[in-house]
Amino acid sequence: MGLSRRDFLKRTAALTAASYIGMNLPISLEGVAQASDADSWHPGTCRLCGSGCRLELGVKNGRAVALRGISKSRTNFGYLCMKGMLFYKLMGNNHPDRLKKPLYRKRKDQPFKEISWDEALDIAAKEFAKAIKKHGNDAVAYYGSGQALTEETYIFQKVMRGGLKTNNVEGNPRLCMASAVGGYITSFGADEPIGSYANFERANCFFIIGSNTAEAHPVLFRRIMRRKMDHRDTVKVINADPRISPTSRIADLDLVFEPGTDLALLNAMAYVIIDEKLYNEDFLKNYSVFRKGKDKKQVSFEEYKKFLSAYTPEKAAQICKGNITADKIRTAARWFATSEGTMSLWTMGINQRKRGVWANNLIHNLHILTGQLCRPGADSFSLTGQPNACGGVREGGGLCHILPAHRLVKKNRLRHEVERLWGIPQGRIPSKPGYHTIAMFEAVNQGKIKAIWINCTSPAQSLPNCDKYRKGMARQDVFMVVTDIFPTRTTELANLILPTAFIFEKTGVYGCTERRSQLTRKAIDAPGDAMPEVWIVRQWALKLSKQLNDPVIKKCVEPFLNKEPDYELPKAIWDEYTQKLTKGRDNDLRGATYEVLEQLPDGVQWPAPTKEFALKGGTDIKFVRGIDPLADEHATNEMPFQFYGPAHPDKKLWVWLRPQKGPEEMPDSEYPFYLSTGRVIDHWHTSSMTGRIPELIRANPYAFVEINPKDAEKLGIRPGDMVEVSSRRGKNILPAKVYVGPCEGMVFVYWHDMKEERMINRVTKDAFDPGSKEPEFKICACRIKKVSGPKPLRPFIVELS
Amino acid sequence: MTIELKKDIIQPLTLFFIFLSIIFPHAAYASAGQASHPKLSQQEKLTPCSQCHKEATPEIYKEWYNSVHGIANVKCFQCHGTYENLRTEPDETHCAACHNKQYLKRPKDKRCWACHPAHNFFVHK
Repeated sequence: MGLSRRDFLKRTAALTAASYIGMNLPISLEGVAQASDADSWHPGTCRLCGSGCRLELGVKNGRAVALRGISKSRTNFGYLCMKGMLFYKLMGNNHPDRLKKPLYRKRKDQPFKEISWDEALDIAAKEFAKAIKKHGNDAVAYYGSGQALTEETYIFQKVMRGGLKTNNVEGNPRLCMASAVGGYITSFGADEPIGSYANFERANCFFIIGSNTAEAHPVLFRRIMRRKMDHRDTVKVINADPRISPTSRIADLDLVFEPGTDLALLNAMAYVIIDEKLYNEDFLKNYSVFRKGKDKKQVSFEEYKKFLSAYTPEKAAQICKGNITADKIRTAARWFATSEGTMSLWTMGINQRKRGVWANNLIHNLHILTGQLCRPGADSFSLTGQPNACGGVREGGGLCHILPAHRLVKKNRLRHEVERLWGIPQGRIPSKPGYHTIAMFEAVNQGKIKAIWINCTSPAQSLPNCDKYRKGMARQDVFMVVTDIFPTRTTELANLILPTAFIFEKTGVYGCTERRSQLTRKAIDAPGDAMPEVWIVRQWALKLSKQLNDPVIKKCVEPFLNKEPDYELPKAIWDEYTQKLTKGRDNDLRGATYEVLEQLPDGVQWPAPTKEFALKGGTDIKFVRGIDPLADEHATNEMPFQFYGPAHPDKKLWVWLRPQKGPEEMPDSEYPFYLSTGRVIDHWHTSSMTGRIPELIRANPYAFVEINPKDAEKLGIRPGDMVEVSSRRGKNILPAKVYVGPCEGMVFVYWHDMKEERMINRVTKDAFDPGSKEPEFKICACRIKKVSGPKPLRPFIVELS
Repeated sequence: MTIELKKDIIQPLTLFFIFLSIIFPHAAYASAGQASHPKLSQQEKLTPCSQCHKEATPEIYKEWYNSVHGIANVKCFQCHGTYENLRTEPDETHCAACHNKQYLKRPKDKRCWACHPAHNFFVHK
């Protein structure tokens, strides 16, 4: 230690005195009662990651006082992480920062003033109508969230498409899940995973790549950890990532590679599987074909083998660098291929990439080659980031190119089918998909979009290269409505802020990673005048119908009129969506009525076409006859697996020839480091919620930049030093953590921090995958330099201006 | 297995926080289980518990770090609370947040850690 105790105390005391003037750490929640005080418990779903943990809210005298896990739930078996334990502190009147009144300002440089709901919805309707009349239907847009309830996403997109005649319907799952969607559709012919969490207890090999599961999905990680610790010698865990993370603690083999080289790694594993004849010949013959290129040309096994010859383990090791050796690649491939059940798991390290879809394809390739699918413990399983990215946005029609229940906008038959089911004129929904997320905010920048509604998300902080898009959102000629529960970086740019009810303050369904839909019923009142989004959209649509003199807009919400907003209204929306829209689709949810969902501790996995089937829990493994009712219904032969996915006419799994491709922006002499970003366990996304919980903000009060000790030594950076991280787009100044986390040549920054100089998306790049349109958050080039020694820092939370 | 071998993953951090280790062992107890933490500034309260306790109570830190709680990232405050509601002996309802089934069927004359040693957890005494 370089400092004496006395010196250190003196130094720190001075820093402390300087730092807390005017500080407003939100710790005024100590009066919240403990669990033992609860007089009733109400089941629901956690909203702070994609795992779908079931929990109960303890309520006393109408106030949220505690949360605890539900032991009977097959998602979490009663376990919760710290976020799940503590977010009751945000509910009802527990938190003073909750938005309670509609707020309006005509110009974005004016202060907000409180207005009534009637005034607020009048303004929203007039501004959207004005934009449409002057600039056309595509001058308006909706940008939603994987945290919105399915009922909310569904009614928003119905009003936008059927009512306002635009497919400008997007959501933040574009930023996290789109490449996984592209991967599943192009490899398996159908979106979403084949198997379930139940495979955690059945797998003998875990291949974790591009996922810090320990922090991003802590309760699921606990299940993997338990499996590993109970079978230390027989269960293998491979962790492939450019950064050693807490997930590595259970790994038998860490594959640390240079960012963006994992396509070579995955191809090399395929090479070994073929070279050592570890593939499943019967599975390949019966269920797969090989394809390449944009035209999806079918090729032979021999051509695939020839393609892989560029990825021998030795060649791949040279590409991947890090700690990768040919022997490690061979070991990983052998474990993967020969285990009784191999489960791959990944998240944003794979998805948030210029070639995210390809990276997904190459993971699926390994499973197809080895037949590690459709049997216990074997699955190619993308972990979802948000609680309802799957159920609400992917299934509910929350992206610009898809309609509810996995229908493509561009398919005339499917579009007209939706129009018919909605009872609106044929041709009402445009045939052209709307703007994807980056294009949407580019259109805002260019003034092509004049009115945008942002729901339950904060793109001003969460978009890559966010300064560029904040300029557009700040335009005075762009009218912006934001619905949320707390002030955020995005409410700062709004004209109209509408306060919404939080989970347990309203009723609705979340659909988690494993195709599982779970209901949360209202248990307490929302604070102030906050209202459920479904009520807000319905009332807005009625006003829009008048403003635009268009009865079809009213027709879109007619089935939902005269329903009270806390239960009847979301139930009516869910009924329409499940009974009409999912009928005959691969995510058939007709059996998963509210009545059924209320009877089960952990909801229903689709497909679940009947109540009788849904009451048994639904489908554990897709495509398997005798387990998946649609596999029996669509069977074309006697084979046990039926890959009936709508995107593959040949009903085969497709092994893709995808070459190694690096990121859009490589380090160079000017910007010599890779920058990557990610979560910490204590915070959720932009920390507008978790940053307001004292225990969580104290545990991780601000973002750090993690630097490999070898790089830190070269640059003279010590722990706690303030470091400038800059790219061609922007810069941050952050305290340094020096440790063997990121590989040499790479730095890693947490992305939750709201503080202007620590918002790392001001530095990241907005390149995106040409197929999925998902941005490449995970890799860009940057440079780093020490700007000072340690400085006092304080957490920062946006307050209402 | 690497569970024990990878302690260096979260170790090195910063001199900046180490000073707190000097004062932690002297926590005063207000009542049964209720702890009064040595006085800290708001800035100091932004230090993760484990950063100081790695130095102040190294045996406890080590036990926790190598336990299922440590590996699964169950942090100090989840059982012991934070400065305003700190308890050396946790309120057992905190255990129930994750272990409600076991909490309900436990022998009523014993605390949870009578059978599951504190900070190790994985075996019955």
